Amino acid sequence: MSAMRKGQAGTGVEQAAIGTITVLWVLGVLLPILSLLVISFIQGKGLGFVWAFSTKAYADILVDFRIEIVLRTLRIVAAVTLIELLLAFPFALWLAKGLKPGWLKSTLLILLVVPFFLSPAARTIVWRSILGSEGLVNIFLAQTGISPEPVSWLLFSEFSVHLGLIGPYFPSMVWPLFISFSLIDDELIKASRDLGADAFTTLRHVVVPLALPGIAAGLVFTAIPMLGDNVASTLLGGGNVALIAESFDDLIRAMNYPGAAALASLLVLAMLLAFLVARLVLARRQASEGGIFAEMQA
Amino acid sequence: MSELATTGPGTESDPILTLANVRQSYSGVLALRGISLDVAKGEFLTLLGPSGSGKSTLLRVIAGLEEPDSADVMRLNGHSIVGVPPEARNVSTVFQHYALFPHMSVGENVEYSLRIRKVAPEERRRRAEAALALVRLPDKYGRRIHQLSGGERQRVALARSLVMGPDILLLDEPLGALDERLRLDMQIELIELRRKTGATFILVTHSQEEAITMSDRIVLMRAGTIEQMGNPRDLFASPATEFAARFMGFENVLRGRILRVSAQDAEIDIEGTTIRGRVVAKNLRPGDTAFAAIRAEHIHVAKAADRTNHLRGTAGAPVYKGRFTDVPFRSPAGDLMVRLDGADDVLPPQADLSFAPETCVIGSIGPESAGQEETSSKGKKHD
Repeated sequence: MSAMRKGQAGTGVEQAAIGTITVLWVLGVLLPILSLLVISFIQGKGLGFVWAFSTKAYADILVDFRIEIVLRTLRIVAAVTLIELLLAFPFALWLAKGLKPGWLKSTLLILLVVPFFLSPAARTIVWRSILGSEGLVNIFLAQTGISPEPVSWLLFSEFSVHLGLIGPYFPSMVWPLFISFSLIDDELIKASRDLGADAFTTLRHVVVPLALPGIAAGLVFTAIPMLGDNVASTLLGGGNVALIAESFDDLIRAMNYPGAAALASLLVLAMLLAFLVARLVLARRQASEGGIFAEMQA
Repeated sequence: MSELATTGPGTESDPILTLANVRQSYSGVLALRGISLDVAKGEFLTLLGPSGSGKSTLLRVIAGLEEPDSADVMRLNGHSIVGVPPEARNVSTVFQHYALFPHMSVGENVEYSLRIRKVAPEERRRRAEAALALVRLPDKYGRRIHQLSGGERQRVALARSLVMGPDILLLDEPLGALDERLRLDMQIELIELRRKTGATFILVTHSQEEAITMSDRIVLMRAGTIEQMGNPRDLFASPATEFAARFMGFENVLRGRILRVSAQDAEIDIEGTTIRGRVVAKNLRPGDTAFAAIRAEHIHVAKAADRTNHLRGTAGAPVYKGRFTDVPFRSPAGDLMVRLDGADDVLPPQADLSFAPETCVIGSIGPESAGQEETSSKGKKHD
């Protein structure tokens, strides 16, 4: 009896917690997104709004140059995210399974946190003195005679924007991968080797499938903040590589709030679609595994 | 003890596994101090020992999951396996916590080694279902791992290892995680499985009961060396060392000085009492420090017919064990545990204890432990 009452009390606390979190979530996350949607379907008039349904905002933003910006942003974000995955995968695997716990591992893990505390502008602008026409790379190329003329596409180009995005978002990809690799029991890897699989086959059949939730999380944590990045494109794009984030600045500066809301709504829609695709891919695995993997996907 | 290695059953035919002078250490600590061992084809061998004795390390070295520091010979089925990675050795391990792949179904787990070896899907399925039938899980092919009980997971791990037809099946304390009832059932089943498959089994365990029940031969390990090797009857009845006697469950192990030795029996003086017993060690000489070991059930509360192995003891608090009662006695030779069948026997505070000389084993104590004996007996005399 007493155990039952205890259980009910526990459920009561849980329900109160769930209720509180739900209310906070609705107020803090859902309401702003909903107002974004509402504003995107009305017209602005100075600092105020005309409260009538309108799709003018969408017509405004769906002009040629802005579609081009959206597509360019998606292309660059996709490419850099893929590069991050290729770079972070072996690094995270080594960190989680190859490296024995010790000072080196601790140091590397701390170094992975440090970028979160640095000013994004400060660490991005360094690239200018490396890639510029009088930067380190061009000085080297000139002195060795490989290219007497400065190579101009190094800076203020899509190349430099890609390069500038790789560094800041590397930890965002490494962390989820590192955690999901660490969660794989060493015995499973040993068992695979023991059953006749070489290292690569073990990677393919055991490590990657079990790390899939972490890979998905890494893609999400890397790609979504990168969609809103305006540092790399502003400092290293030099006006040649406009991304969505700059469009927001432009629209807000022009006091076109419904336009900014419409653009944001489209982005939210794109993210929701990406999530749905990811869920469909993971659905089969989610059905087969309980506990921690399901939590990581949520 | 390593000279015993060449006298195992492995010499009759070609051994499936030969190890000579295998050494392994972890950051300076020796885990294996020169292990030499022959394993015969079809043998059920048990590596028995306390934790830290090196039994699991030896198993991993055989599996290839650990590379030894040095080894004179490591031969599996006629081929050297020194430096050969685990995937290229035809042995298979059943891990203590099963290590089943959680993202695969039961069938996919069992088929894993066949899929790696590019066996056609229909053939794979046929062999996997046969292996599952062998471990009495015929209808679990499509199940997910997390839907299985501990005992069922154990069987899937066995099927997964057996399906590839390994030269040797390595079992790393496979019954440790099961509850007692299931453990006893699985012991019988492992014996059956070995009989049906004719495979060579090497089992690691710290349970002498498991070792005795299942094995053809037991290798008792201690601190990275082989303490004693032999069939279960040998080890159970004639432990050659004090450590072996304690590990094989002798409740009463006493130390003393040898008075008289013949080919079969010896007399030992323990705190002024003369005990006669069977000799289990070679090279025992009068004056040597030695041990005498007697099982609790072999000591009787009654006057002996003659004066051999007769002690007068004072009973302590009995411990009721269900099928029997253990009663500690203080005797001139030291504390003795006596096992009584009748649980309700009323004991007089003083009783005559006796035991037959053939149930008492007398063996030598290694030089390093003899040194400890010197100091401890001195300490006792001061009391």
